[in-house]
Amino acid sequence: MADREEVAAPPVAAVRELALEGAAAVGAPVAIPPRTFGERARRVVAYGLMITLAVLYLVPFAYTVSTSLKTQAEAAAGFDLWPSNPSLAAFREIWSSENVSFVTFFKNSLLLATSITAINLFLATLGGYAFARLRFPLREPLFLLVLGTLMIPDQLRLVPIYLMMVDFPVTHWNLTQTRHGYVFFGTSIALATSLFLMRQYFLTIPKDYEEAAKLDGAGYFKTYWRVMLPLAAPAVAAVAILTFQGIWNEFFWANLLLGQGSSSEWTVQIGLAQFRFTYQTLWPQLMAAATIAIIPVLVVYVFFQRYFVAGVAAAGVKG
Amino acid sequence: MAVDAGRARRLPSLGGERLREAGVGYAFVLVPLGVFALFQLYPMAYAFYVSAHEWGGIEGKLGYVGLANYRELWHDQAFWTWPPERATALWNTVYYAVLVVPLQMALGLTMALIVNQAIRGRTFFRAAYYFPALVSSAAISAIAIYLLNADGLVNAAISAVLGRDFDHPWFGDADTALESIVVLDAWTTSGTMMLFYLAALQSIPTDVYEAAAIDKAGAWRTFWKITFPLLKPAHFFVVVVSVIGALKLFDQAFIISTGSGGPAGSTMTAVMYVYTVTIKEFNYGYGATVGVVLFLIIFTLTLIQRLLFGRAEIGY
Repeated sequence: MADREEVAAPPVAAVRELALEGAAAVGAPVAIPPRTFGERARRVVAYGLMITLAVLYLVPFAYTVSTSLKTQAEAAAGFDLWPSNPSLAAFREIWSSENVSFVTFFKNSLLLATSITAINLFLATLGGYAFARLRFPLREPLFLLVLGTLMIPDQLRLVPIYLMMVDFPVTHWNLTQTRHGYVFFGTSIALATSLFLMRQYFLTIPKDYEEAAKLDGAGYFKTYWRVMLPLAAPAVAAVAILTFQGIWNEFFWANLLLGQGSSSEWTVQIGLAQFRFTYQTLWPQLMAAATIAIIPVLVVYVFFQRYFVAGVAAAGVKG
Repeated sequence: MAVDAGRARRLPSLGGERLREAGVGYAFVLVPLGVFALFQLYPMAYAFYVSAHEWGGIEGKLGYVGLANYRELWHDQAFWTWPPERATALWNTVYYAVLVVPLQMALGLTMALIVNQAIRGRTFFRAAYYFPALVSSAAISAIAIYLLNADGLVNAAISAVLGRDFDHPWFGDADTALESIVVLDAWTTSGTMMLFYLAALQSIPTDVYEAAAIDKAGAWRTFWKITFPLLKPAHFFVVVVSVIGALKLFDQAFIISTGSGGPAGSTMTAVMYVYTVTIKEFNYGYGATVGVVLFLIIFTLTLIQRLLFGRAEIGY
């Protein structure tokens, strides 16, 4: 290795800047403005690879939407990306008909995802604030316990949760095939991650704000509600989005707890799986159902992309 | 003097303040802890309890059987065999993990390197690569069934390249069904791995690259000699996440095989086995046993990985 300190002196700021954008991090020689032939060739190859990957990653979705707008005959005949006579017939058929009613599934999914997100947000911000800021005995062991629950896999919980939900301890409620039962249980699905994210974010907020609030005579709840929560808005957004997406997409528990009975309680994901089981190769309708399942997360993603990326990266750092 | 008096007066109430703070703290974490106790810790203990019983779907709890369920599982050729054979739930899952984990890592790292460059359109590419990770497993499965059926787009593309008719039913053949799910899941999960790698890449200090640039090390060499080894903590993290995710495989296999684990048991995963035994065969005691054993396997793997992870030096 060369003597770093000496040579690094003048261009260091420029290099830093580059590295933040990442060119240096890939190992491309830094700060050599005129491009050599080799470098230009490499750029062409890199762009080629990037574009190919992007096409491979997105083309299936393009065909999903395209096929959902076709007739059964056209879908069976070939793979023109642009439907010759685009129509919403397939959507209309599955949205609300005698056999399938995705409008019901859609409402159910929306109801479950928004309720669980709201409950999670309240519990995770309040609990995250307490774990980050309030001093109480056993705080750290309790927090480790919360993180430890992330290691309990779903396959272990399948039987006990099912038994519990069919015949709830003490009360003997049957909480399967009911939306409120799923909301009750579903709170546990994303809560540990949400709590962790909120606690980490609260830890980064300077204490001055709370002290100022305290001097104004604000209690703990008021400090949390009026001071800490607004300051944590980006983390709140990330947690809200990740929870909503997670519950909207959730299939394993929904299928177990709601999917065994009447279709009036099904979510979009259950409806989609059941539609495939029953109707096999009705491609336009199946693709319309898939599109319905995708659109809400797509909308959320398009509007809040940066929170998504921040949230996933932060959730990952916990290790 | 006035200040001293004030402090003296406030001292006793400070003790009360401490107590109040602790009380409020407990109150704020009470409900979340209750949720975890009810839906995580209690079920965990309950699973062990159920697994020690003969427990039927209609009859309910029939009696304590000790380790009988575990002994049955040991000899259960649908769960595992020795030597390992495909079409058993455990080995299907291991086989799937062995294929999908390196593929996810390689794709995730490649994409992270791409979108970490100062290039035009990197926001678009990052969004494009991450998009499949957002889509629900049910929608992904439906799309895959459409694209990979005998008359699907993938076969049409292969036919065009080969110049002859190609109509392999990817999910209908025991030799390609699980392998197709591997590709499918690499496609959808690599976006998440990309974000993990991206975070790690951006935390590598730049001076190591300055040194490499001064040494006139080429991009390829710089990557293998510097970037790749420096990403060691990220590799470990991604392996842990990826392996645990792979051992959970259920949704795609369940939906694509219409809940059967077919063709010929090739897509019967470990979690699907728990589900089948429990929900379809109403054998709760045995289902809980399979769940406990899978938990112990995952727990051991995680411990091993933690030990390795703990020993890994963070290289900068």
